[in-house]
Amino acid sequence: MAAGLRATVLAPLVNLEARSAGIRAAITARNDLLATRGRAVADTLSLRAISDENTTLRQLLGLSARLQEGFVPAEVLPARGPEEFTLNVTAGSRVGVQPFLPVVTADGLVGMVETVDQASSTVITWAHPDFRVSAMSVDQDAFGIVQPHLAAGAERWLLEMRGVPFRAKLDTGTLIVSSGLGATYPRGIPVGTVIGELSTPEKWARTYLLKPAVLPENIGPVLVLLPGRGDRGVNGVWTSVAAADSAARAVAASGDSLARTAAFDELTARRAALDSLLADSLSRADTIGGGLTSRSAAAADSIRRDSLRREVTRRDSVRRDNDRRETGRRDAVRSRPPVRGR
Amino acid sequence: MRGPPQSAGVAGALRAWAGFAVLVGAQFGVRPLIAGRATVDFAVIAVLFSAVRLRPGVAAVVGFLTGLALDALSPGGFGASALVLTVLAFSASWLKAVFFADHVALTGLFVFSAKWLFDVAMALLTGVGSGASMLVALLVWSPLSAALTAVVGVLLLVVFRPLYRPHSL
Repeated sequence: MAAGLRATVLAPLVNLEARSAGIRAAITARNDLLATRGRAVADTLSLRAISDENTTLRQLLGLSARLQEGFVPAEVLPARGPEEFTLNVTAGSRVGVQPFLPVVTADGLVGMVETVDQASSTVITWAHPDFRVSAMSVDQDAFGIVQPHLAAGAERWLLEMRGVPFRAKLDTGTLIVSSGLGATYPRGIPVGTVIGELSTPEKWARTYLLKPAVLPENIGPVLVLLPGRGDRGVNGVWTSVAAADSAARAVAASGDSLARTAAFDELTARRAALDSLLADSLSRADTIGGGLTSRSAAAADSIRRDSLRREVTRRDSVRRDNDRRETGRRDAVRSRPPVRGR
Repeated sequence: MRGPPQSAGVAGALRAWAGFAVLVGAQFGVRPLIAGRATVDFAVIAVLFSAVRLRPGVAAVVGFLTGLALDALSPGGFGASALVLTVLAFSASWLKAVFFADHVALTGLFVFSAKWLFDVAMALLTGVGSGASMLVALLVWSPLSAALTAVVGVLLLVVFRPLYRPHSL
């Protein structure tokens, strides 16, 4: 009876209900789709954060391997107060942390331990008004004192290198590292890079504006260098990374040049095959037509000689280019002298 | 002398049946769009609003037919809706003098009670659910559905007064 009613009198209502149910299902499916998209976006964002953290931890792991010993890893605790120039880290006197120890990341200098309790420490960062570090250019041409740039706005998060001798002119992009003078920071920790010169009333010395090596938003896990490690110095720990990068680039470039050479050899072989085919066809034409054998042979020879000459010229020019490039790289690597120990 | 009142009565009856058809259509066209466990029962509103205009016997027939339509689309408890809506329509028509004094709040209360009773009767007759889930359904979701139905009924009465005013056909 119900089926009969549904098929006859109630057919329009059945259709209406089915259509409404379909609309409802479409709305639900769309909502599910939006929810899925939202979850996908959230997952992507968290994946990016995890990827960034992974990169930071890998870099720190590399730094730990280069330092080998004499450091304590620590996590930065979330800030509790309005103080934005200090950090609390999860390493205290229990693991050997003392005041005035340098705090570093894979990018460079973060700051210095100020106070210590058993399980945590307070670190003043390079942005703290009391922060000072004796620094030098990585080629040791210029020395000075690096301190926060006490300006307003975004420039507050820059550093300035004061007291640089007037004769020492630093180019933009020059790496500034700690000089090791003053016994707090060992020599060779990156502090920042030069982004310009500041005009000051002091005409006997220059002041440079630096971009900090460690950006505030990138301060995650840190390493506290223990007293013995600082005394032994950290020469080459950071600067060798730049050298390794350039070496890796050189290796990649030499791989490219090898590939180019192989491609060139293949091209030469093809050309030689074509030349021989051409010479054969010319000699055949002479045989058929008669009287031109010696000329065609001479032409074939000249073609071969030309092609060989072209190949030799090309090979030489490629070799010259490669040599020039390699020499340039070697010079670039050589022009960065290793930072000497204290 | 009797022409104009007769034509007015026919027009009123047509409007009333149109209102009834709209509500029955809404039961099948709008209700499936509304998600959730507390939903508006347009069929109960349609039966109640038509019952107060009809004599108890005719109202019972209308309730029975409406219930039959509902049962045909949910064959699991075939006959239950027809029975319950017949009783509700008969009772509403019989009690109209008491409850439908063209008072909006009383109308809302009446719709609320009718819907709740409808749900209780359906739960008892069809035997859907048992124990705690049945109690939750009858004491939480049914009152909420009844309240929602009452609100919609009152709104319909206020907004579409020519269609649903409780005058005899």
